[in-house]
Amino acid sequence: MSRAFAAFAIVFAVVYPIAYAISVWKNFALFTYHPALNEFGMGVQKAKDGPAMYWYGWMATSAIAGGIAGVVACLVPERVARRLWPGLAWLVPLCAMLFFAWLLRGYFLR
Amino acid sequence: MTTALLIVHGLLAVALLGAITHQAASVLWPATRPAGSFAGRFRAVAAPGYANAVLILYVLTAILGAVIYGEYRISVRIVLEELHLNAANGSFELKEHLAAIGLGMLPAYWWSWRQPEARWRTPLTAILAFVVWWNFLVGHVLNNIRGFGS
Repeated sequence: MSRAFAAFAIVFAVVYPIAYAISVWKNFALFTYHPALNEFGMGVQKAKDGPAMYWYGWMATSAIAGGIAGVVACLVPERVARRLWPGLAWLVPLCAMLFFAWLLRGYFLR
Repeated sequence: MTTALLIVHGLLAVALLGAITHQAASVLWPATRPAGSFAGRFRAVAAPGYANAVLILYVLTAILGAVIYGEYRISVRIVLEELHLNAANGSFELKEHLAAIGLGMLPAYWWSWRQPEARWRTPLTAILAFVVWWNFLVGHVLNNIRGFGS
């Protein structure tokens, strides 16, 4: 159990931010929220009668991707799992954060 | 209702800020002898004991933030755009992304603090502390610019 959770946690920490960055960049939201109407809709929908929010959908997409990858990591043989460097659990999220700082640079530079 | 939720969100964030700052200080700047000063006692806490509290407080704060985010999108962000407060707007955009990425780090963070020796918990904790500080300060500043109900 402990080895399996370790593999899950590390792989989730690696795959989730990558999936999140791609989801935001390419807008792969699992669902859309329309706050003015208090309505949810599947997939990416255009704004209607107010703004459309994709943040919840991006997190859902990423959680599914990270969850699937994490479960797969639990199933791999121990000798393979041992090769996984735990430091990736902080290095990849840090890179994702820097990616977003770059992606949003226009807000601060104009 | 949104104002009440915002206040609870802020109070949870304060508790989270305290917990993660204690923990980060204790791993980044460990006390080497019995602490006598305020700063020394601040660093000399039993850091592993904060992991569960940080996990729970982070999740609760994020959930409440997500609940009131829709109201922010309608009544605050539009005003920021009209006032051309681009840096404030961008800071909040970064806040939402950092909060989401932080959520994904929580299982590894929690697991690292269950291990007797895990060097990788130091950067994990430091990054989470940075996320919490950034999100707290940005949320606070934005609320001062244009709070709910103003």
